[in-house]
Amino acid sequence: MLTYKDVGLSEGEYQEIVRLLARTPNDLELGLFGALWSEHCSYKNSKPFLAWLPHEGPFVVQGPGGNAGVVRFNQDYDVAFKIESHNHPSYVEPLQGAATGVGGILRDIIAMGARPIAVADILKFGTNQRAHALRHGIVEGIGAYGNAIGIPTVTGSVGYSALYDANPLVNVLAVGLLPQSRHIGADGAKPGSVLLLMGQSTGRDGIHGASLLASQDFGTETESMRPTVQVGDPFMGKLLMEATLAIVTEGLADAVQDLGAAGLTSALAELAYASQVGVTLDVGAVPCRETGMSAYDIMLSETQERMLLSVPKSHLEAALRTIKTFDLSVAEIGRVMPGDFLRIYLDSNQVADVPTQVLVASCPRHVLPNKFTDRFTLPANSESAPIPLTIDQDLGFRVLRHPDCQDRSPIYSRYDSTIQVRTVWGPDHDSAILHLGEASEGLQIAVSAPSRWALIDSVAGGYAVVVDVLSRVASQGAVPLGLTDGINGGNPDKPEEYERVAGLVWGIAQAARDFGVPVTGGNVSLHNETESRAIWPTAALGVVARHPHPKAPVADRPDAKGLTIALVNPPGDPTLGGSVLAEELGRIGAYPRIAPDVTIKALNLMGTWARDPDAVGLLACRSIGVGGLFVALSRALMSRAPQYGADLRLSAEHAALDLFNETAGQFLVFLDPALKNSWVSRAQDGGVTVKILGETTDSPQIKIQAGRTVTFELHALWQAFREGGGSNHVG
Amino acid sequence: MTRSMDAQREVGIVVFPGSNCDQDTIKAVRELGATPRVLDYRLTELPPLDRLILPGGFSYGDYLRSGALAAAAPIMDAVDEAALLGMPVLGICNGFQILCERGLLPGALLPNPHGTFISQLETVRVTAVPSGFSGLAVGDHLALPIAHHEGSYRIAEGQLHALFEQGQVFLQYSDPDGAVHALTNPNGSVANIAGIASGSVVGLMPHPERAMAEYLGSADGRRFLQAWFGQKGSPGC
Repeated sequence: MLTYKDVGLSEGEYQEIVRLLARTPNDLELGLFGALWSEHCSYKNSKPFLAWLPHEGPFVVQGPGGNAGVVRFNQDYDVAFKIESHNHPSYVEPLQGAATGVGGILRDIIAMGARPIAVADILKFGTNQRAHALRHGIVEGIGAYGNAIGIPTVTGSVGYSALYDANPLVNVLAVGLLPQSRHIGADGAKPGSVLLLMGQSTGRDGIHGASLLASQDFGTETESMRPTVQVGDPFMGKLLMEATLAIVTEGLADAVQDLGAAGLTSALAELAYASQVGVTLDVGAVPCRETGMSAYDIMLSETQERMLLSVPKSHLEAALRTIKTFDLSVAEIGRVMPGDFLRIYLDSNQVADVPTQVLVASCPRHVLPNKFTDRFTLPANSESAPIPLTIDQDLGFRVLRHPDCQDRSPIYSRYDSTIQVRTVWGPDHDSAILHLGEASEGLQIAVSAPSRWALIDSVAGGYAVVVDVLSRVASQGAVPLGLTDGINGGNPDKPEEYERVAGLVWGIAQAARDFGVPVTGGNVSLHNETESRAIWPTAALGVVARHPHPKAPVADRPDAKGLTIALVNPPGDPTLGGSVLAEELGRIGAYPRIAPDVTIKALNLMGTWARDPDAVGLLACRSIGVGGLFVALSRALMSRAPQYGADLRLSAEHAALDLFNETAGQFLVFLDPALKNSWVSRAQDGGVTVKILGETTDSPQIKIQAGRTVTFELHALWQAFREGGGSNHVG
Repeated sequence: MTRSMDAQREVGIVVFPGSNCDQDTIKAVRELGATPRVLDYRLTELPPLDRLILPGGFSYGDYLRSGALAAAAPIMDAVDEAALLGMPVLGICNGFQILCERGLLPGALLPNPHGTFISQLETVRVTAVPSGFSGLAVGDHLALPIAHHEGSYRIAEGQLHALFEQGQVFLQYSDPDGAVHALTNPNGSVANIAGIASGSVVGLMPHPERAMAEYLGSADGRRFLQAWFGQKGSPGC
């Protein structure tokens, strides 16, 4: 006999199951509950705060609840997109953990009937020796899957902190194109249809992945969890993708559900619940890779590269024929019926019978105390960040050498970023821009996860990460269609960790509302703790946007001397709180609460100008983020053979604050000097500040006059950017 | 878009299980005014064709060795026969690996020395102009993306000299100005070799089908494919 502890449930949850079923569950049924009532599948702790996120918007076709969010792109196509995490498996087995993370989110997109066209990875690593090895394995795993299945990895984000030493984060965003005629989901299964299981044969890999691995903290026994990690096979994934899309295109299925966390259990229950039908399963009909697998093993296996199809009988022959052309194994494993149940049979004996309503939607949720959110109104108390009195070369180099500001090319050059031939801007830019062939409009994809911003005041950090991705969109004049969020936090049973993560989501929700961009789906990964050390609360935000001129993006580097350099929307009262420089100086301080009104105006104005850059003399543009203005300016000018430099004049007492504050919603712009005055006056009319900083030169250096003059040679900055060299950072 | 080229040219594009550059290649061929014909790896005879392309990807998941299993696929006897009759055959990336594994091109492609995948824009220098090409001259250089895990070209000892002598080495990794030296070698290929020709059969690791327009970072792939089609010059491109 199993106990509730064996499947990761609490005593209270067990009693609730007994009450709802009006009987005690047998071992197999208990296993089903262990999987679906886990944090990973039920979102029992996170649902109360996820409810704050806005889901409605003019472009939303499908909000949260399906396998991925869907937004309208143009009259022909929709875009399906979502972030998923694979943090715990990537620590236990970095290569396979990360690879299956990519495979898993791609199947989510495919299950919506969309063809994946891009992947982005948001990674957080530790700083010790082991973290270095983990990074190598994780990057290899992401590349191994994405490269082989043929989906380009077009953008990404990476950050480092010792707090991620034993809890690296692997969040992956996938984006797919969906012809509007082809909508399918898990919610269309009709009584009478046949359930087909297609793809890899089921093995003993990944059993309890959702309930025990992803939903509990790590301790010393983590090593023994290796068997709970799945193994990815991108070759099979490719065949499965093509077969699924062929079946959906031919209209042969009424519902599709991929098998991910909690395997067949979750797939069957979700499909039945979403379609409001009952399902029966003949567990003996499931093709197995190993002999002697029990019904329990089969139901909880997380073997990858499997897809569940609901096919009307009239289409069965055609569907089987299509699957056969891809040399995939397929089996009829069950039936769709009217009702609300998941019934499992073995050798004609019924071995489990559970209402799907109870299984999927009845897990007791975390209840928030009264007035819980009042605490988010005021900024967190903290020591203020240090303010250097003067700037010198050391400050600039220390920030540029910081691993969070360094060149990411050692990572992204291991990913195929050009396959499918849509990549106009790839990972060497701040966001990706894809052209879509005949369509005049393209797709912009940006991700951001500056977790240092959320370290002390997670509300401020959550808000700012939304502003950060939307600023990248505004800098191209693109229209944001929707957001997806990956929320990563520590143990939700600890009130302080719960509050930090809830604050992060509160911030995201406020920003999404303020800027009018909905969150159409995402992922929550809690229990990122090892031996009671939690990670920084980390929000990975992704945005998809409609780009007005994808084949001619607004440049992110100036290409002439004498251009006016200006800063749009500098903060009135800048602080180094939450910045890389503050960390370097040893006292991080709280990240500022961003002023909504002026920032909304700034993003709107920037978006308008970038939509028609020639008309306003906008020659190049970058949004300001991690590392502040200094890093943005350096990245706009540095290269192997730099041509143009900059002369900047800043006020002596504020120079360090101006250069290194990381307040999101600011833009570094390079302007036609003839139009600079009109910028200042037009911005003023719109209620936005534009500060003229200087101009570009034909000398390869950045010269900053702020009381005294400090000069940075661009080739030296380039070297620091490429090679790093911080004393205690992973290189 | 129709170009000046003979639009009737039929180009067979062989799709193996795991091929993933087939769609990109089809689009590129169509953009150049030719007619792509998708060929299933299970075919044992080819339809009437003028040219053949083995596109990139991870045929058979790169199991055993890259290209090794595809080299034994049913269609390959027919590919042999077409090559023997002088039909132009182009292998790109995994297609190049398959042609080497099949013995249609000399040498082999080994894992990159660092053991990692490399994806970046490279410059390659035209070292010889293979037969049938036009519009390319020795010394030209092309910016083309590479994306591979096994692209380190090797040849049995003593045979390298002959490859150069016979003009079989037609592309070498170079610096942006076309100079070939050790620092411009991304993957440890012997003598920076990026492409090999043998009669009408040519193979290269870079992906010309991904460099079809300036806004993609380079239009040199278009130029390369036009040259392979025997189309002189590239007005309007």
